[in-house]
Amino acid sequence: MRIRRNRLLAAPLFALLGIAAFASPAQASGESVGGCMAEVIHEAEEHHGKDHDVLHDEHVQDELEKCFEAPNPILPELNEIVWGGAAFLILFVLMVKKGFPAVKGAMDARAEKIRTDLDAAEQARTDAQAVQADYEERLADAKAEASRLIDEARGAADQVRTDLMARHEAEMAELRARAAADIESSRTQAIADLRAEVAGIALGAAERVVQSSLDTEVQGRLIDAYIDEVAGGNG
Amino acid sequence: MADSRVTGYADALFAVAAAEGDLAVVEDELFRFAQALRSDDQLGSTLADQGVPVSRRQQVVEDLLGGKASATTTALVSMVVGAGRTTDLPAIVDALVERSAASRNKSVATVRTAIDLTAEQRNRLASAINTRTGRDVEIRVVIDPTVLGGVVTEIGDDIIDGSVRRRLNQLRESFR
Repeated sequence: MRIRRNRLLAAPLFALLGIAAFASPAQASGESVGGCMAEVIHEAEEHHGKDHDVLHDEHVQDELEKCFEAPNPILPELNEIVWGGAAFLILFVLMVKKGFPAVKGAMDARAEKIRTDLDAAEQARTDAQAVQADYEERLADAKAEASRLIDEARGAADQVRTDLMARHEAEMAELRARAAADIESSRTQAIADLRAEVAGIALGAAERVVQSSLDTEVQGRLIDAYIDEVAGGNG
Repeated sequence: MADSRVTGYADALFAVAAAEGDLAVVEDELFRFAQALRSDDQLGSTLADQGVPVSRRQQVVEDLLGGKASATTTALVSMVVGAGRTTDLPAIVDALVERSAASRNKSVATVRTAIDLTAEQRNRLASAINTRTGRDVEIRVVIDPTVLGGVVTEIGDDIIDGSVRRRLNQLRESFR
């Protein structure tokens, strides 16, 4: 801040020195060509009197020729320099006393604000980085949790599939066994029914044959044989 | 009917038949009538039908036994039917027969055959049963065509089955 202040003070001084360095004679007199010539003539008449032919005086002619020399395009007239310098000084003093503190305060405030903003931005960046880190951590945790859940779901699905297949196989085996048992039972029942049917037919035929052959004589012999068996203890 | 009531009726019938002096005949006729009731469901249901007046049922008994059985037998059967104990008559007669045989120190052997036994066969069978079981028995023959041939003897709870039916049944069982 001190360096910047010194530069502000040095700038007007360099400007004044520059103006003084490039000042020309005409400009130093503070007149135009016509004014310069009128002033030369006026001074010559006062010096030599009005009766003297000043225009043919070599000295006056030399002075007039000097009026034709090119004026300094930069160097203002003296009164302008005086007034301008005074105004500049007043303005400079006002600027130093009033403007500079205001500008300095504004710039300090601006700088403070910028610093505050930078600090806030830095804090925000830090916070953002923390949030990002937290977010990335949570994201990683979420991904890990998701991966774990997927693994668990996959494991559970595999287990369910295995259980279903085992149960299905067990049910199929039970169904096959039951079907085999039913078939065997049906076969056994069919054989038994067939055997009973055959036996019934055969016994019916045998009964009819026996009935037709059991006349009174045969009945008597059967009774006698029975009595003999009872007596013999073989009945 | 309770056993005591069957026994009571049997004792009553036994006493009446004994008092009339023709116990053996009455006993045999009652036995035959009881077998007829066992084998003829229509006869049993008619005599036991409470919707038929007692006099009508007794008239049926008179018509069936009149002239074929003794008056004592007819009167006893009519009395049991009139008392509404027709369905118990077979059990009453069995108890009567047992009671009568017991009075002679004998047991009753119920013999089922397809044809009736001759007197000689009855004596031989009674002797054979005595030889085998040691019990003196009286033979009661029941004609049962389902026996087909041979004899089935029942003495109390003992059964000596020598029928053709049993052999056919054994043959049937052997097929199973």
